Amino acid sequence: MSHLFEAFSIALRMIVSGDPGVFSIALRTLLIASVSTLLATLLFVPLGCLINFSSFKGKRLAVGFVQTMYSVPTVFVGMLVFLMISRSGPLGGLELLFSPWAIILGEVVLIAPIITGLTISALQSTGKGLEDTAVALGGGRRTVILKVLSEAKYTMLTSVLMGFGRAVSEVGVAIMVGGNIAGYTRTLTTAIALGVGKGETAPSIALGLILLSLALIVSIIVNLLQHGGRK
Amino acid sequence: MMKSLALSLFLLVFVLAGCSEESQPIETAEVDTAVEEVTESGAVVPMARVERLRVATTTSLYDTGLWGYLEPMFEEQYDVELDVLYAGTGKAIDWGKRGDVDVITVHSRSREEAFVTEGYGVERVPFAFNYFLIVGPEEDPAGIAGMSPEDALTALMNNGEAVFVSRGDDSGTHGKEKSIWTAAGFDYDEDVRTAGAWYVEGGSGMGPTLVMANEMQGYTLSDIGTYLAYQGDLDLVPVVDQGDALLNVYSVLQVETSKNPELAFALVDFLTSAEVQQLIGDYGVDAYGMQLFTPCAGEAL
Amino acid sequence: MILQLKNIQQKKNGNKILKGVSIDVPEGSFFVLMGPTGCGKTSLLRIAGLLDSPSSGDIIFKGKKLTSRKKELLHTRRQIASMFQSPVMFRGSVSSNVGWGLKIRGIKKPEIASRTEKVLEFVGLSGFAERDASTLSGGERRRTALARALVLEPELLILDEPGTSLDPAFKRDLLKRIKEIHLQTGTTFVMATHDFTDALAVGTMGAVMRNGLIEQSGMMDDILFKPESRFMASFTGVRNIFPADFAGTEACVRQLTITHSGIKQGHGFLAIPPEVIVLSLAPNLTSERNRFNGTVKSIERNGTNWDVTVEVSDIPIIVAITTGALEELEIAPGTDIHLSFKASAVHVF
Repeated sequence: MSHLFEAFSIALRMIVSGDPGVFSIALRTLLIASVSTLLATLLFVPLGCLINFSSFKGKRLAVGFVQTMYSVPTVFVGMLVFLMISRSGPLGGLELLFSPWAIILGEVVLIAPIITGLTISALQSTGKGLEDTAVALGGGRRTVILKVLSEAKYTMLTSVLMGFGRAVSEVGVAIMVGGNIAGYTRTLTTAIALGVGKGETAPSIALGLILLSLALIVSIIVNLLQHGGRK
Repeated sequence: MMKSLALSLFLLVFVLAGCSEESQPIETAEVDTAVEEVTESGAVVPMARVERLRVATTTSLYDTGLWGYLEPMFEEQYDVELDVLYAGTGKAIDWGKRGDVDVITVHSRSREEAFVTEGYGVERVPFAFNYFLIVGPEEDPAGIAGMSPEDALTALMNNGEAVFVSRGDDSGTHGKEKSIWTAAGFDYDEDVRTAGAWYVEGGSGMGPTLVMANEMQGYTLSDIGTYLAYQGDLDLVPVVDQGDALLNVYSVLQVETSKNPELAFALVDFLTSAEVQQLIGDYGVDAYGMQLFTPCAGEAL
Repeated sequence: MILQLKNIQQKKNGNKILKGVSIDVPEGSFFVLMGPTGCGKTSLLRIAGLLDSPSSGDIIFKGKKLTSRKKELLHTRRQIASMFQSPVMFRGSVSSNVGWGLKIRGIKKPEIASRTEKVLEFVGLSGFAERDASTLSGGERRRTALARALVLEPELLILDEPGTSLDPAFKRDLLKRIKEIHLQTGTTFVMATHDFTDALAVGTMGAVMRNGLIEQSGMMDDILFKPESRFMASFTGVRNIFPADFAGTEACVRQLTITHSGIKQGHGFLAIPPEVIVLSLAPNLTSERNRFNGTVKSIERNGTNWDVTVEVSDIPIIVAITTGALEELEIAPGTDIHLSFKASAVHVF
């Protein structure tokens, strides 16, 4: 117990004093997750919109599939991406493995279903009634879509934040395709995994606290958005 | 409003990342400051395109901190970013076969030789050795203290209650354990893995396996370096430390398909240089009061 | 005719919702589409509002048959405004909701502001302009939705059950406003309701639907007093429906012979609206062709009026009378009484 307490106080001191080792990892994690989320947003929010606003055979099946993939195991994605970008894999020529870009690629794949699916949900949450109302008031196709998007924008931002939350807290992809290289591909989660394995409690707790506060911040913003969205 | 907030957050992160890039890496060489092992020094993400060399190492060389100690020296000497990836010997060799790393440092003679004869590795170059230990609880419930490793494992099998935690991860240490079982006259897959609940396949690195054995108050086979590095947190003591079977030789192999053969060879050269051999021999003596690795460049081991 | 629907059929998930419906809506009329819940009213309104296209059938707007060309549909739809059963508010203020339709039509801000203000006053929501639409009550929502449609000055305004789930008082108020708007603007209205009383309150003409078909259509008075089927009679609340054998202008309901103004042979039905029957204690010396005497069996309150059931040779006939008339007559169960009604008030089908 006293051991845990001591570790905690060291951890707090590391955070308060701005320990460069701890903070460079935190910052890198934030950067990698942000870039992943940004790329996934640019790619998959439009995809979600496309799926939502078009009608095609098997649409419900497609949406169901996307939603099933929300909880795709991170190690599965890690393995898949590893096999793709390994030098002897089909994308080996890009030389991405064991670099931050590998993690970014993996995280984009990982959160793609969440962002696509939650974008669809967000757009559907405005209801058929909203779309009908806009049509009934004389809106053309483009006007109606823009109206639905503007009504759903806060909920859509929430889906992006959920994606960020998953990207920042996942460990499977980061460790399998990033390799947990110190100063290069080490993220909060892989550093914690290493630290706990080595019995280095204090820095792991410090990193864990930072991770926790990141998750907390995301969840607070999501709550604020949902509150603002209801207004 | 929210959108612009999110945007400025992104920008902030980028700016911060750019700033920290300018700060120079701080050299860290101490083994005893555990903090530096998990965390790190240096840039968040190097923005400039720098030359990188990848070495995959067995966990024992990583967990003892040896690579953390040698890495900055090599980087400074050759002006290159050295990426150290830790994994079991099996995985490190697999990465080498796939061409994902340039150099591997592992400890399984038979597999290293196969790696070379199959055309994946240039040459097997031993650079350090130490001994494996069977560690266990001080009370020694199976009464194996002082036995030869083969006899000790046979006694554990006959005991059938005292826990033994195996790495179970296809690592070099795991390979060593298997070879001792074979030498003791057991078929590993048929006799040992099915022996009962006392035989635990941990499936993780040396450090976590030691922690697991400690939690379960069982025995395990460990390299001495990792054991010493973890000793402070463990109640386990060396039980069996004599026997030829316990010899543990670390080799460095340049990967045939490395895109940077000069630097890859430079790393082999670096590890076997007289200067670094000296450093390896001295490594950890201050912290543990004993030698972790015996340098052996040029010897046939 | 501003709107004609010809032989409209609609299928949804393999079910036939509309099985060939035709209606004609004259310009300036208040056309009420009636019928029980699930009869296809909403589906027909969505087609009339150009929100859904029918599986088959023609839509003729102002004499011109519509094609499925998107541009033409949008152009026509902009002359029609629909208000749904449970209106959805856009995020934002009441005025931004009301002004949206004008904004997308490219109308300048000052004009939007003045038209919005005027229409809000019209629906009784002046002072609500800056209110957040999500804080409105059910009635206020309906009125905002009404204003949102009305501000577009459509040639045809389609309302789906505007009174549903409102307090009776709010509902009466809303319908009163809608009727006023109709009278003042002369806009053509098509409104769906399952409530016949609501239909009577606002409609000039209408149609009653049942299972995806039109049961009867025409002027409201005809629908009310001249049901063409038992379903119609029970839907409009006409009581005193009896099976009868017809021979010219006479009809036999068991032993009773009733005179009507039509000519009909064979078996059919006969309805005597309870409102048209006159009760008196003494034999009534009028020109009315149907005069009977019977015994009061029961007296029951029906809203503000009273239903008196009189038995005439074993046939119970309901007579609706006012409280005043009831007090004047001083009748009770068992009282012998005379009743009379015009032949022209008897409806046969």
